[in-house]
Amino acid sequence: MNLYEHTIVARQDTSPAQIKQLTEKYSKIIEKHEGEIVQTEEWGLLNLAYVIKKNKKGTYIHFKIKASGKIIDELEKNEIIDKNLLRYMTVKVKKFDLEAKYFSRKEGFEKKE
Amino acid sequence: MPSKKRAGGKKKTGQSNFAKLSIFQPNKYKFKKSCPLSVKGAPIVDYKDIRLLKKYMSENGKILPSRITNVSQKKQRELSLSIKRARNLALI
Repeated sequence: MNLYEHTIVARQDTSPAQIKQLTEKYSKIIEKHEGEIVQTEEWGLLNLAYVIKKNKKGTYIHFKIKASGKIIDELEKNEIIDKNLLRYMTVKVKKFDLEAKYFSRKEGFEKKE
Repeated sequence: MPSKKRAGGKKKTGQSNFAKLSIFQPNKYKFKKSCPLSVKGAPIVDYKDIRLLKKYMSENGKILPSRITNVSQKKQRELSLSIKRARNLALI
């Protein structure tokens, strides 16, 4: 079992219900293959640094997963054909940093940049 | 390099790389020796910490060379990797 940080970026015009659906969909895939979700974070609608497929904003969802590598393959296979997603990224980490919240609801933080 | 210098340069973030230089090298011809990310209590380099990463990038989004920022080799590698990760997610 390895530890992974997994982030997906959804399109700007997805509704909150759809976001929930997406989160559930991928959580289910992980659970079905005996992975464990340690934490789920929603970073919310953030401005993209550059335009991706005519989107200026994107909804970020961040998973912290404890699973084997095969699940990541399965996840990414599903994500690559998902039309609601713009990007996904998986990073393997040694240890989870569960305290640090870089995207918690500090509005001033985002506006500074 | 150090010829361009701002009085009390700490606060100002100006136009070019030289403005960034003044953040990291506040004293005139005296270069700071230690790496700002290796000292005790230094922040952990992480691709989610945009604010930290921005400090080590130029205005145009390029990664600053370590000779300007005085970051150690090890940390510079970590930095460049996490900056590239953040770029992929369109965070910076």
